[in-house]
Amino acid sequence: MGLGFVVGVFGVLILAHAAYSTIQYRGLLKITEEEFSGPPMNVVAELLLGLVFCMWAGLTVPGKFLSILPDSEENRIVSLPANLDFMSFNHRGKVFPKELDVKLKL
Amino acid sequence: MAGHNDSSAVEKKSSDLSNDIPTFNAENLQSNMKTIYYSRTFLSIIGGVIAGILGFTGLTGFILYFLIMAITSAGLIAKSGFSIHSYFDSWNRVVLDGFFSGLMSFVLFWTFAYDIVHIF
Repeated sequence: MGLGFVVGVFGVLILAHAAYSTIQYRGLLKITEEEFSGPPMNVVAELLLGLVFCMWAGLTVPGKFLSILPDSEENRIVSLPANLDFMSFNHRGKVFPKELDVKLKL
Repeated sequence: MAGHNDSSAVEKKSSDLSNDIPTFNAENLQSNMKTIYYSRTFLSIIGGVIAGILGFTGLTGFILYFLIMAITSAGLIAKSGFSIHSYFDSWNRVVLDGFFSGLMSFVLFWTFAYDIVHIF
């Protein structure tokens, strides 16, 4: 969370700076009375850098993917107590001979 | 990685046996969907700001949106370690979900940034 979040804030700051320098560039164009054809090169570079940082942050900050397979390693322990209400110990299995229990324990 | 591949193979086999009824952990699927939704919304906002600063108007801005969503999808696939089926039930979840809601926030922030930078 920490590192990705800091990178995201840094990317947003870079984008803000790019916006600010574009505003300044437009002011300059107004003075020299030229038409705006496209943003200057350093703004494009800043935008690309900010996009890369924000992409990295946007992919890492929201959290890891969790496996949806019922037999994967992280789901095995969690899914056991989900049926706890339906466990029944008072069933006909108690009339079975006790040697079977010993075998099961092995 | 190898474990995931193994378990996906086992899952495929067991779903074949039980007449193609998919079984998966719905809670984790929902959490994955939420993660994807966050990523897409944030990146469409960032894409809108970028399109506004660059001064795009008309079709080029939408082309930029498609490009950014394609990069996002590639990033999400890379994040899941190229084994989509152990985290999602279909490809559409990764590639298409949240596309149009992201387009709305993209257009909002596109016009917002364009107004701030180029008009005022």
